[in-house]
Amino acid sequence: MAPTEKTDLLQGTLDMLILKIVALGPVHGYGISQRIRQISKEVLNVQQGSLYPALHRLEKRGWLSAEWGDSENGREAKFYKLSAKGRRQLAQEEASWNRLSQAVELILGAAQQEA
Amino acid sequence: MSWNPFHRSPREPEFDREIGFHIDQLTQAGITQGLSPQEARRRAVLEFGGREQIKQQVREVHTSRFLETLGFNCRAAMRFVRRSPSFSAAVILTLALGIGANSAVFSAIDAVVLRPLPFPGGDQLVQLNQHDTRNRDANRFIAPVRLEDWNRMNSTFSGISGYYTDDLSETSGALPEKVSEALVAPRFLYVLQIAPLVGRDFTAEEEHFGGPDAVLISYGFWQRRFHGDPAAIGKKLRIGSFSCSIIGVMPASFAFPNRDIELWAPSAPDAPYAQRRDSTWFTVIGRMKPGVNLAQAQADLATVQARLGRQFPKPDADLQVQSTPLKEIIVADVRDSLWLLYGSVSLLLLIACSNIAALLLARTADREHEISIRFSLGASRRAIVGQLLTEVSFLALLGSLLGLIIAAAAARGFHLLANTLPRATEISLNWTIVLYSLLCAVLTTLLCGLFPAIRGTRRDLAHSLAQGSRTQASRRSPMQWFLVAVQVTLAVTLLTGAGLLLRSLQQLGRVSPCFDPSHVLTFQISGSWGETADMGALTRRIDRTLDALRATPGVEAATTAGWLPGIPGMYQMEFKLDGSLDPNRKILADNRWVSSGYLDTMSIPLLQGEGCKEGSTTPDLLVNRRFVNLYLGGSPALGHHLDAAAYNDFTPAGLIRGVVGDAREEGLNAAPVPMVYSCFSAPNPFPNYLVRTHGDPSAMADTIRHRIHQLEPGRSVYAIMPLQDHLDAASSGNRLRTILLALFAATAVALACIGLYGTLNYLGRMRQREVGVRLALGAARSHIVAQFLLEGLRVTIIGCLAGIALSLVTGRLVANMLYGVSPLDPTTYLGVVILILFVATVASLLPAWRAARVEPVQVLRQE
Repeated sequence: MAPTEKTDLLQGTLDMLILKIVALGPVHGYGISQRIRQISKEVLNVQQGSLYPALHRLEKRGWLSAEWGDSENGREAKFYKLSAKGRRQLAQEEASWNRLSQAVELILGAAQQEA
Repeated sequence: MSWNPFHRSPREPEFDREIGFHIDQLTQAGITQGLSPQEARRRAVLEFGGREQIKQQVREVHTSRFLETLGFNCRAAMRFVRRSPSFSAAVILTLALGIGANSAVFSAIDAVVLRPLPFPGGDQLVQLNQHDTRNRDANRFIAPVRLEDWNRMNSTFSGISGYYTDDLSETSGALPEKVSEALVAPRFLYVLQIAPLVGRDFTAEEEHFGGPDAVLISYGFWQRRFHGDPAAIGKKLRIGSFSCSIIGVMPASFAFPNRDIELWAPSAPDAPYAQRRDSTWFTVIGRMKPGVNLAQAQADLATVQARLGRQFPKPDADLQVQSTPLKEIIVADVRDSLWLLYGSVSLLLLIACSNIAALLLARTADREHEISIRFSLGASRRAIVGQLLTEVSFLALLGSLLGLIIAAAAARGFHLLANTLPRATEISLNWTIVLYSLLCAVLTTLLCGLFPAIRGTRRDLAHSLAQGSRTQASRRSPMQWFLVAVQVTLAVTLLTGAGLLLRSLQQLGRVSPCFDPSHVLTFQISGSWGETADMGALTRRIDRTLDALRATPGVEAATTAGWLPGIPGMYQMEFKLDGSLDPNRKILADNRWVSSGYLDTMSIPLLQGEGCKEGSTTPDLLVNRRFVNLYLGGSPALGHHLDAAAYNDFTPAGLIRGVVGDAREEGLNAAPVPMVYSCFSAPNPFPNYLVRTHGDPSAMADTIRHRIHQLEPGRSVYAIMPLQDHLDAASSGNRLRTILLALFAATAVALACIGLYGTLNYLGRMRQREVGVRLALGAARSHIVAQFLLEGLRVTIIGCLAGIALSLVTGRLVANMLYGVSPLDPTTYLGVVILILFVATVASLLPAWRAARVEPVQVLRQE
């Protein structure tokens, strides 16, 4: 489906991305999928089949809270907001992601020097 | 069909709206890009993807996985039960019996042994006995003055009180009624921390000598005599020669010192007749202060008694205080029996579990195909194990519910044993028991289910799908054999225990008591301790009654006795021989009071001299042969003077007038001990009367009642029954224990046989092909029968050996319940082995024969 090269999301990363997007301000499901695509410059395209179960899971865990409200074009939409608990979770996930990606970079860099 | 709560959930339409919005937005974006609305809509729906799938996934987020799986598994379990009703019924019934019996015995242990006594802070209650250091007598009674000294001088008790019991005639009703009364020291209810249900406790004045007469009545007496009328308070009761006002009613659950007590009245410690330090009558109980333990209380009382010893050297210097938890006193006798029964029913439950495990193992193997299909459809091993376990737990749960019904019935049964089992009336089906049997269900599920489930779902089984029916099941049989061996082991252990008890009972039956209990009727006639003020009158009254009994037609001989023959009296004391006490050679003997006619009534042979004489003014003694052999060393026995070394109201002293045969006075299971009989017809105001009759002793009961009523219209005759009944009652606990254990053992053997039979049968089915091929190749059928038989016997023998090893250890547990049999009795062990081998052979024969009856052609065609 995706126009560009398809990049698979690492397991668990989707939750972090959703939390990050929602952290920018209350947003509905459609908005989240659009933003992920725009911000990742079309590299990441979240399937609705993953997005909605993930949203409901996060809501159930209490990391997101949801509320019905009017969208930009006046239609009623379900807006997701980050809860305090979600904010803590996001901070944790970001930290561990940074550690992981630095580690991966170090290894890749070392491997290149060896080559 | 719907288990999914999401279907009815308000989330569903909400989620539809959420999806609708998303698709609308996608459509809008398409239109902005210049597509026609229809085309934009089509692409949007396409891009959104499988709408129903997404909805299902969201549903799964919201449904509890656990509940859903449980629901699924339960439905599968019910299907399973429906599909194989006889198998399920067998399992449920086995578990119902196993868990039911276990819960029933546990309910008894819980109520009798584990739960504290039904008094607030019951664990702080102790019984205090005095122990004469120079004398091993079992006189645990304490003088009122000493009780008051202990109560005043100790620092570890919040209160010390005591009681003694008296049987009286209550004559305010239409007919005289025999009532049991507890005469209690001050602070009695305070120590027990029990308040009357109606009315009040005794006042300080009522507890003093000369104070107002007051009596508390039991709930049963209140209901019977006053129909529960609160106006009973203040009414007068005529008890013996006294008239007392009822001041209160005790709660129905209050049964202390025993269930027969209907009246409680104060016994004043400051009464003039209660001032001697050697007139002992109270059984003393005390409540330790909170936080004080038994050792501290014991040490404190030892100090107190040492001070009393300096102050009153004559009796007190030789006395030591012993404190024993009150619960210990009440339940010590039955605790071992109860734990023994509990151990046996637990072994039985284990056997039932391993039996069911073997059945399930065979069953899981039969379902190999079903399991491998589920594996290949992507089910996880955990899911399948979970399903198999749910099936078992479903059966176990039904079993434990049925078991609870058994336990409830058993609790009622226990109440009937109230005479042999203390606290029996406290046994009831309560939440503890319900929880316990549920715990049993969980444990049995894990015990019988986990193993077959894990084994049955090993991954390599998935390959069996490819192999079709050619799977060789025999590689799993070691496990089955192991389970059979376990069953045989446990059955042998139980059987050995039961065998030892049975042998012991048999030995006991062979013992000759050296007295003849047949044709002897026993009873008591009400009297009061008050009569002991004039011992002469009391003795004359009892002798007059004896004369009247002897003159009654149908009566051969009559006598009184302090204790019934064959019922333990345990009144051992030290004697001075001819006035001297040899510290190196203590003369210890049991003492029993008997009147003239005792030897004739009991058919105890007189070896030398003469028996007790009626109306003799000198205190005479008789000794048994054992006493003579042990202490008089062959020298002429008659004419020696014996004198009790300790001081007591009823100290026997006198000349030896006769030597009698060794009767088993202290119980049929106790060898005769040196015995001194004191000739005294009135050891207490209500001695046991023993009457030898020509015919059936029970038939004489009414005649005797009438005769006594003519003679003493104000007295009641009670506890009238043949001596044989007393002896049977004394061993009824023993017999009941043996019967129950034998019953458990028989069940265990039956279960083990079923296990053996089932396993061989299953093996025979699994090896049909092998047997068919061998038969086709010319093997003899007898050979095949022998092979299966031997396989069964090999496991049985291994189980037997393990069972014997286990019995050698567990046999020690029953050692002190045995009489005349060693816990290593070879006859019992041999008998058990022969029985088990015989039964195992019978159980193996049919499946072995069936296994060999395979038609080779048919089997080969099936392939």
